[in-house]
Formats: sequence, structure tokens, C-alpha cells
Amino acid sequence: MDDQPVCHGVAPVTRRSFQSPLARALGRGAANSGVQHWWAERVTAVALVPLCLWFAASIIAHAGSDYAGFIAWIRTPLATSCMILLLIALFHHSALGLQVVIEDYVHSGVKFVAVIAVRLCCYGLAVVGIIAVVRIAFGG
Amino acid sequence: MIVESSDQVPRLSWLKRFPIPRNFKVTPESRIEKGRIWPAPADAKRIKAFEIYRYDPDSGGNPRLDTFHVDVDDCGPMVLDALFWIKNKVDSTLTFRRSCREGVCGSCAMNMDGTNWLACTRFISDMDTNATIYPLANMRIIKDLVPDLTHVFAQYAAIEPWLRSETPEPEKERLQSPEERSQLDGYYECILCFCCTSGCPSHWWNGNRFLGPAVLLQAWRWLTDSRDEAKGERLDALEDPFRLYRCHTILNCTRTCPKGLNPGKAIAEIKRAIVEREK
Amino acid sequence: MIKNGTTDGNSTPARPRPLSPNIQIYRPQLTSVLSIANRFTGLVLSLGAVGLVIWLSAAAAGPRTYGVMQSAIGNWAGQVVLFGCTFAFFLHLCGGIRHLVWDTVHGFELRSIYISGWTVVAASVVLTAAAWTISLFVTGWHL
Repeated sequence: MDDQPVCHGVAPVTRRSFQSPLARALGRGAANSGVQHWWAERVTAVALVPLCLWFAASIIAHAGSDYAGFIAWIRTPLATSCMILLLIALFHHSALGLQVVIEDYVHSGVKFVAVIAVRLCCYGLAVVGIIAVVRIAFGG
Repeated sequence: MIVESSDQVPRLSWLKRFPIPRNFKVTPESRIEKGRIWPAPADAKRIKAFEIYRYDPDSGGNPRLDTFHVDVDDCGPMVLDALFWIKNKVDSTLTFRRSCREGVCGSCAMNMDGTNWLACTRFISDMDTNATIYPLANMRIIKDLVPDLTHVFAQYAAIEPWLRSETPEPEKERLQSPEERSQLDGYYECILCFCCTSGCPSHWWNGNRFLGPAVLLQAWRWLTDSRDEAKGERLDALEDPFRLYRCHTILNCTRTCPKGLNPGKAIAEIKRAIVEREK
Repeated sequence: MIKNGTTDGNSTPARPRPLSPNIQIYRPQLTSVLSIANRFTGLVLSLGAVGLVIWLSAAAAGPRTYGVMQSAIGNWAGQVVLFGCTFAFFLHLCGGIRHLVWDTVHGFELRSIYISGWTVVAASVVLTAAAWTISLFVTGWHL
């Protein structure tokens, strides 16, 4: 009976396990989830295409303008709403993508801590950004 | 530049491996050491040098890279012929799997010049000047070029690759229209050589839970078979962040398939089937 | 004699089987290189998003903090970072659109994969150059 190494590209762990190869391949069974994450990543991506292009075009068009010009631009209703939507879509997409990256490369218990930390940071930063936009738009 | 089919040999000469250390993240028992340089044949006009991965489980040593010089005129045109020439004339301990010698059994799958292919259908003339032969990537090695395929075959068994139907067997055949039969084209031809799975970076990092392109292509073969009645259960068994969704459409699989099949597309079909039953 | 990688049940197994090299020897191809580039640019853009929030917060804090921010972006290091972020953005955008097309199960033939791949690279370079050229003209920079 073979030893049962775990197929990492990193340090494989050899266990003297007598679990059959089929049992090891089946693992804990299918989680029956995963499509929600996949779908949300695609929806935010589709939203980000026009929002990011709008943002890039606006930045380029207003390159070199001073503080007053920048404030005036953000205060327009279109810019305010698009900035807020951009921040929501951007940080949600980023949280989903970073979670996938961590799941790919981190396999110890650190994975759970890292995923939670990254998700919370993303949503926290999104809120900070939205507050900043709101303060610019409605401030004096 | 534009690759039309997978049998086009990679030509890029200036980047043959990622610029990382040779023994990057390699565990001590897997480190490859310098090997023997075997003498060239005395009266050969055309000689080709092959660097071949060797591992002897009985010697207690690490894997090593031996260099063999093959008389190209004395040997057939394929890399498998060169391996036989070496085994017959130079080192009879060189060990590799082989059977059909015509690209239909999948036994001689190995990594040649950095990409996975069948040794019996890779021309020696298509190999680099410094030809390298390694076993299939990211596999436990039993000896020399022979990988341990136990785990990948277990993953194949895990998707239940047989017809599942509640309907009682008909008297003669289970009927299938030509259109329904054509849905299997491009999927039933898989010879389970595991070139694709062995070339998938996601399977390198998560191979214990990610099923890999070969197994997922076969999963789609059964999903798309009109005679099968267990589509729901099959999709349930696949819908998992690791079993299916470690696939990030890297597409090394489609690039390397020696039968010209398209595992990447099969996986995209599975993902679409899962989304469509959700929405 | 205990075979390598096996156990007779009574003693510890002989040395484990070695793992054949993977990323150390596998040939980089357009498929894998563009995929890792998409991931890498995504990571860069995640950092860029943090920068975006800092920039917005600086603007919300008033003209003085905004001016500090702008001079930081304006000096050569900031411009290099900004250029890198622009290229990362366009590469991730074009690569992302390529992924979205794949999600509709189109464009999986090898020929299409390679054509779309090179298109992504070319488009990213062109769009980055265009974005920077236009913004330089907008800021009144003359040759």
C-alpha cells in the first residue's frame, strides 16, 4: 500500500495512512456550493467594465485640474453615484478574487484567518471610500 | 505565434522555464542531483544529447539527471525510439511505460522539453538542442520516468464514470440520435494519459482536492451523454469550490493534449450547466 | 525488502517517493503566462484600490491634504507607480473580458485562444500608451 502524500507543489506531507485512494479522492464530499462565488465574481466584473472605463476616462479628461475642479466633478450626481458603485463593485470583486488566491496557495489553518481578514479589510475600505465620496459630494 | 493545434511544438527558445531557482520549493527527497554523462557512440555521424530524469528507489539516492548521447541514424524517429535505443544499447535500467507506440494507449506520457506529450508521437527532430525528458509533472515517481497514477485514477473513479440509469434496460440498444451521439465527440476519445492534469498549475497546488482537467472532461462526457439519467447527481457531486472551481481557465490542458481534445471547454460547459440550473 | 514508498505495517516506510518537478521545469506558454499575469495584475490592482481610497480620503480632508497627495503622485516615483497601475489595469481589463467570453463557452479552440491572447497583450499596450499620451496632452505637455 502506498504512502499517501498530499499533492502540494510545496512540502508534501507523507502520512502512513491506510485510507484507500478512492476515499482520499472523495474527501469530505462535494460542498454543493461555489457557483454563488463564481457568479458574483462575474457580475461584479461585468459591472466593473463600464465603471472602470468611465473612471479612467474621467481621470484622463480631468488630468491636471486643480482641487476645485476635482471637487466640482465629483459633486455632479453622475460622478457621485458612479464613484460609489465603482467602490462597491471594485471591493466586492477584489474580495472574491483575493479569497480565491488565498485558497489556492495557503493550505494550513492560516487560510481561514487570511480569508476573513482580507474580506473584512475590503469591505471596510469600501465603506471608508464611500464615506469620503459622500463627504466630498455633500460637504461645504 | 498563433498555435492552431496542440501538436505544434512550442518554439519559443528564450524562455524555456519560469525564471525561478531550479530547486524552488522542492522537498529534500525530490531534489534533483547531477547525474552521469554516458559516453557517446564511437562511430555515429549524428548524435543527439538527451538529459533524462532518473530515480532508483532501490539505491536510496535522490533523483538525478543523466545525459545520454543517441545515434539518431541508428534509431527510429520518435522520442520513444530513442528511449528504447538507450535501454537496449546503453543503460538497460532505464525504465518507462509504453505499449501501443502509436499514440492511442497513453502509457508513454511524459514531459519533453518542458511540455507534456506522448513519447511515441513526439519527433526527435522537434526536440530542442538540449533535449530534456522528465516524467509527467507533479507526480510521485515510482522509478525513472514511471509516475504513480493511483491518486488521479482514484479521482476518476470518484466521478462514477459509468452509465447511471433508473429506466430498465431496453431489449436491444439504448437509443441515441446522431445529434445526441455527436455531443460525445471530443470527449469520448480521451485516453487518460493525464498529460493535461499533470500540466495544470491548479492541480499542482491543489491536486488532492481539485479533480483536474482529465477527470472533469470525463465528468462532462457522462453529463452530456443523453442515455445517462443522473445529470443532477453528477452536477451535485461536482459543484464544490475545490473539486471544480479551482479551474481558473489557465488552459495549459488544451494546449498540451496529445489527442487534440479540449478539457478547458468541457470544464466551461460544466460551469455553464451548473449556472443554468441555478438561474 | 521494503519497497520505496510502502510500508510492511510494522516499521516506518522507506523514503517517500520523490515528486517530479512541476513549475521548476514546465515550459511557460501563452496560456499559463497570461493567466498568471491576470492574477498578478489583479493583486496589483487590489493595492491600487487601497490607494484609490487613500486618495479619495485625502480629497475629502481638504485642499491641503489633497495637494500633498497630488505632489506624491506627481513626483517621478509616483508616476512610475501610476504607469504600472495603468498597465496592470488595462491588462486585467482585457484579460477579464477574455475570461467573460470564455464563460459563455466561446473561443476555446486553440487558434482562438492564441489570437485572443495576443490581442489582450497588444490591446493593453496600446490602451496604456493612449491613456498616457492623451493625459499628457490634456495637462498641456508639449514635445
